[in-house]
Amino acid sequence: MSPTPDGAAGAAKQSETRKGVSRRSFLKGMAATGVGMSVLATGLKSVAHAQQMTPDLTDAKLIDMYARMLRMRWWDRTYGDILLTDQNFRSWAHIWYPYAGQEAVAVGVTTALNQDDWIATTWRGSGHMTAKGGDLKKMTAEITMKATGLGGGYGASMHMTDKSIGFLFSTGIVGPNAAIMAGVAAGIKQRGGKQVAVAFAGDGAHASPYFHVALNEAAILKLPFVYVIENNLYAAGAYYKVQTHLDDIAVSARGFEIPGVVVDGQNVIAVYHAAKTAVERARAGQGPTLIEAKTYRYYGHSGGAGVKVGRMGSFGMAYRPDREVLAWMARDPVEIHKTMLLNLGLLTEAKAEEMEQAAKAEVAAAFKFAADSPVPRAAEALRHVYSSGGPVPARQFANTKLF
Amino acid sequence: MPVKGWTYAKFEGIVQGVGDSKDFLYTSEGGSGTASLQGYPTIDFKKLYGPNSVIVTGIDEMWYTAAAIGASLIGLKTVVDHGMYMANALTFDLIYQWASKLHYMHGGALTVPAVFVQSIAAQEKGLAGQHAEYEEDSWYMHTPGLKTVIPTTPYDMKGLMIAALRSNDPVVLLEYAGFRGLTGEVPDGDYEVQIGKAAVRTRGSDITIVSSGNGTPQMLEAAEKLKKEGVGVEAIDLVTLHPLDTETLVKSVQKTKRLLTVDQSKYTLAPGAEVVARVAEAVPGAKFKRIAFPDAPAAAAPEMLEYNRINPDHVYQAAKWLLAR
Repeated sequence: MSPTPDGAAGAAKQSETRKGVSRRSFLKGMAATGVGMSVLATGLKSVAHAQQMTPDLTDAKLIDMYARMLRMRWWDRTYGDILLTDQNFRSWAHIWYPYAGQEAVAVGVTTALNQDDWIATTWRGSGHMTAKGGDLKKMTAEITMKATGLGGGYGASMHMTDKSIGFLFSTGIVGPNAAIMAGVAAGIKQRGGKQVAVAFAGDGAHASPYFHVALNEAAILKLPFVYVIENNLYAAGAYYKVQTHLDDIAVSARGFEIPGVVVDGQNVIAVYHAAKTAVERARAGQGPTLIEAKTYRYYGHSGGAGVKVGRMGSFGMAYRPDREVLAWMARDPVEIHKTMLLNLGLLTEAKAEEMEQAAKAEVAAAFKFAADSPVPRAAEALRHVYSSGGPVPARQFANTKLF
Repeated sequence: MPVKGWTYAKFEGIVQGVGDSKDFLYTSEGGSGTASLQGYPTIDFKKLYGPNSVIVTGIDEMWYTAAAIGASLIGLKTVVDHGMYMANALTFDLIYQWASKLHYMHGGALTVPAVFVQSIAAQEKGLAGQHAEYEEDSWYMHTPGLKTVIPTTPYDMKGLMIAALRSNDPVVLLEYAGFRGLTGEVPDGDYEVQIGKAAVRTRGSDITIVSSGNGTPQMLEAAEKLKKEGVGVEAIDLVTLHPLDTETLVKSVQKTKRLLTVDQSKYTLAPGAEVVARVAEAVPGAKFKRIAFPDAPAAAAPEMLEYNRINPDHVYQAAKWLLAR
């Protein structure tokens, strides 16, 4: 099987698809070329237009979206450079899960949320944490397992929490976060709250039973739950069609009679509108929505394989052609949004450069803070087993008391 | 003191443990979230806590266990009343991989104040294997981050439930299905049975016998017979499997110098194995004996099943064996 995704092929056939006569091929072409339109997989209700400039998208909000995307982008690029150049950097292949290329998804969704709405993510949570307004210093310290990190170095990238911004958890296990976040939604409903619970997952989650458990039960109970599948075409190194029969995972929503939305994950405005519709529906007590954002990760599944200092992305990976990475980079979410801001007159090249430098500086300061922070004290390993916080008995030494 | 059934004691414990808060979610498979007892008000969670406080599903253990973990994470008290012992392993994934270690992996920033009522099969004849195993005590006892308790009386069920709901940690409350028909003295008022404390059921200085769950009634019946023969039996019901009450166990065997453990669970790594190990470290010269269900699945035929199950005579004979050493 040739793992050539529709997106890259579509980009190459841009002019052809634009001539298409059927609505289906037109929409397909628009989505593939980044003109940006979300299409509904279920045929239920509204279509969210990518360039729809609704009044809630204020100048400040549009600029802030760009600022957050820049922070995410440079966090990954900085991490990659440090990983390759600093022998003392506390990272191993399996703890860096880059998000670059997918920024529009996390930013689009979180822009549609309030600070007290809950999200939970995958291992690629540095992106969502940054998008939700997380503290880059504490996040970087946690990912490098320092005492000053969000969780004091107990969890690293796969176990981050910042309740103050509604970031409940990241996880390294595919599947259950959907059911757990639907449970958060059940808790919200029992309390009579107006919050929404959002679970982010990759395309690989569709093969997990929890995917179906969560949507089925959230539909039955009309829970304020939004499930965002970031289809970046690969579950680790496996093309998504290896484990998913569907071209569009959002089609699964049909089986639960809930809205299923396919959205151009490279276009932050398109993602925002899809999320906003879903969030409004959830808040109104109408139940869950499944959103599938078609996107792409520039780096590998994890670690620095195929990365070069100063160059974005991983190349020479066995499971995907380099040209595919380059084709997706031609539809870069940060560039698409920047171009739009320039066209709207909300940004100048000079101002954009200034913002980019500011993002780089903020990221550099976060990595410096993490580097300068102390490592956890070893004996802390006995603490936080229970909420009393106190240590459990040491059992590894000859001279410890039995009780 | 009023006499109440097992389930009413459990529900009364939930109501008193939750207190005045409405931040409560009860999830279960089947059932209605109600319990009744003659002469007492019917307990109906939907009436007490609102229509959204009860999630009762069909066969969807993964959902109602995950749902409780989710609701707990944002601060609700939750009870997963999981009666379907044949599906314990499905819920184990979530309890073991999520509930037990979220607090630790997040450096204390997340808590999971959930109570997982996990049924253990009553090992009824004719059911065999998948519907008749007794071994979950070992699974949960081995898992840090959880507090694991196993009541043997309606009194303990209620008191442990109250203590569990007031704990900010996830608690696994193992419910031996054969106890659901028990009645016993249960106070109307609010009381806690302390988690982490074993119950000394009879005092004596000749031999210590330790059991838990459905081993306990076998132990107590044998202890009664031994007592009539003039043997001083210290019968200890563990009540909490994790954290284990090492002090009570060690102090008893320091006195008796003989320890017999009785498990309805499978022999290898049954709770008694840990009990013997801890006491052996602390009491030089003590003598030990373990009896347990053999390392075999449960058979359907009653003859085979009862051959393997621990009964009072097994306990009695093992005690006599140990006393003769």
